Amino acid sequence: MDNAVTTALAVLEKQLNRPLAAALEVCARCGICAESCHYYVADPKLDHVPAQRAEQLRQVYRRQHDFIGKFFPTWVNAEDLDENKLERLAEIAFSECTLCRRCTFNCPMGVDTPLMMRVIRAMATAAGKAPEILVMLADSAIEKGKDPDMFRAMFKEQIAQMEQELRELTGNPEATIPVEKEGARVLYVALAGAHTILPPAIIFNAVKEDWTLSLYEAANYGVFLGDTARAKAIAGRIIEEAKRLKVEEVVVAECGHACASLVWDAPNWFSETFPFKTRSIVELFAEYIEQGRLHLDPTANPEPITYHDSCNLARTSGIYREPRVILNAVAQNFVEMTPHGLENYCCGGGGGLVALPEYDEKRLRAGKPKADQIKKTGARTVAAACENCRLQLGDLNQYYELSVKVTALADLIVKAMRLPEKIAMSVAAE
Amino acid sequence: MNIQFITSIIALVALIFSIVVFASRWQAMQRLPFGKDRSIPKDSAWKGIMYAFTLGMMPWAKESTRIHMLAYLRGIGFHIGIFAGLAALIASPWFENIPFAIRALFAVLTGSGALMGAAGGVMRVAEKNLRGISTRDDHAAVWLVSLWLGAMAFALIAPAFLPAMYVVSAAMLVYAPLGKIRHCIYFYFARLFYGLHIGRRGVASGLIEHSIPSGRRSHAPQFGGVGAASARLEQEAHNG
Repeated sequence: MDNAVTTALAVLEKQLNRPLAAALEVCARCGICAESCHYYVADPKLDHVPAQRAEQLRQVYRRQHDFIGKFFPTWVNAEDLDENKLERLAEIAFSECTLCRRCTFNCPMGVDTPLMMRVIRAMATAAGKAPEILVMLADSAIEKGKDPDMFRAMFKEQIAQMEQELRELTGNPEATIPVEKEGARVLYVALAGAHTILPPAIIFNAVKEDWTLSLYEAANYGVFLGDTARAKAIAGRIIEEAKRLKVEEVVVAECGHACASLVWDAPNWFSETFPFKTRSIVELFAEYIEQGRLHLDPTANPEPITYHDSCNLARTSGIYREPRVILNAVAQNFVEMTPHGLENYCCGGGGGLVALPEYDEKRLRAGKPKADQIKKTGARTVAAACENCRLQLGDLNQYYELSVKVTALADLIVKAMRLPEKIAMSVAAE
Repeated sequence: MNIQFITSIIALVALIFSIVVFASRWQAMQRLPFGKDRSIPKDSAWKGIMYAFTLGMMPWAKESTRIHMLAYLRGIGFHIGIFAGLAALIASPWFENIPFAIRALFAVLTGSGALMGAAGGVMRVAEKNLRGISTRDDHAAVWLVSLWLGAMAFALIAPAFLPAMYVVSAAMLVYAPLGKIRHCIYFYFARLFYGLHIGRRGVASGLIEHSIPSGRRSHAPQFGGVGAASARLEQEAHNG
């Protein structure tokens, strides 16, 4: 047995806990999960049935753990893990499953196929079979966290320039983008780029929130690798910062995986209940609206607008009501996709797939059900509260000639705030 | 010693074997790590667990079961037959003391279960995807259980079939904890973990709302777990 295979099997053994064992053992292979997968809907073939996908790991598990699998492997299709099988497993987990959980919700048993795909990703990463780009992105984020002093000054300088822009746009000379403000109520963790900083900054200033901007980005590529050590290192920077600044809550940018990992996974990686609340900025925006702290004019967004539920926000984090609170307040003509909410289809860009150019064609083809959904709504704008979803929706827009505009919820809110014309133009340009 | 006594002893030994192996599987599961969830829950875990074992099993609760309603109901019928068959097996030494009407009712349940199981066996061969994902174990399991249910239905009506039923029961009981049939114990774990996930993360509320028929639902699109919620929001928006 070669080294990669031995390493991968060791990871499988290490990760074998009760939920994983249940997922590996419980499938009755009834096959009714097929249509729940957007890959299968786009291209109905056996390899795209979630049960068949998970079966590839089960075959390895049975060979190791099942009495019949050990002595009569052909009876239960048990298979030894070899280099080829490991490469095929990696291909499946990184390019043919976006970890959207739609199959789990549709399974009569509740088989957690994404959990199995995550374990395969972990096996592949440990064995050196993970996509290099994901490894590189995760490692560069970790490097950045090791010595924040190297980039702190440059970051603060960029933010100071952005603050000037914010003041000009809002006409409010006191508008601020505080960084590392100790004792702030909210620590906002944005993504790379001004587009996830400026619109929230406008909103925070409008509601007079006591906030501060994180030095770090919310994206966590360690999660996509299934690599807890890397994911923990990336999340750890933010957690340390939140503790140091003694904030009441950490609010994550409009980003599905970043929110899900920080809210639901990080406390378990660190075996710790954090001394602050963690949630998505979507929940905070909805709260402002419900508290009447934002004055919004839905006629500012008159065109038909639909909403794409990020899988990580809806099915993984239970955030399906809040985006609708926002959209009903900011849009004159909000139309739902069918299906939507907890039954929404993945856009096809989840699980880090949108960052992997080698799988572009696969990803865009798997996005066909989403493109069809959007077309049927007749919407001219598609809102999404996840950066990866927005990237994928933008690509689908071109690939399927949808002629729609893809936007974040924050941009729609800012537009509905009816700020001076130049602000609306600036936000729209983002 | 007559043949009925001998076969009943064989079935009893098989039953004990089955219970012991299932119990050891249960213990093995309990020995696996299951760390405490340190994240701050958004809602009640119990709400999710209750949903997972009740409303979440309803044929209308999931898109998959709405699409495959007949296949799902076939499976439900098959499993009702299995539960009836297990009850009948335990009661089998006292069949002669049980009123015929009750035995007939159980014969209908197990007989129907046998037919539903056989239909499932045929589907595994006839349907392309099912054929592709099935192992030999899957085929063997569905036919073995169907045969057992059929034998039980006959034994409930005519005691002459008891020895045959005991032999088939023994084979089924020995195979159950080793082959695919063992998924029955993992079902409870898998649904529990699913329930914990949707409960703690505030997903169950949306699913529950969607699973309970409501007049308000008529405002909502056909699908969508938050149909009723969004309908209410729409209504509120219209009402100003």
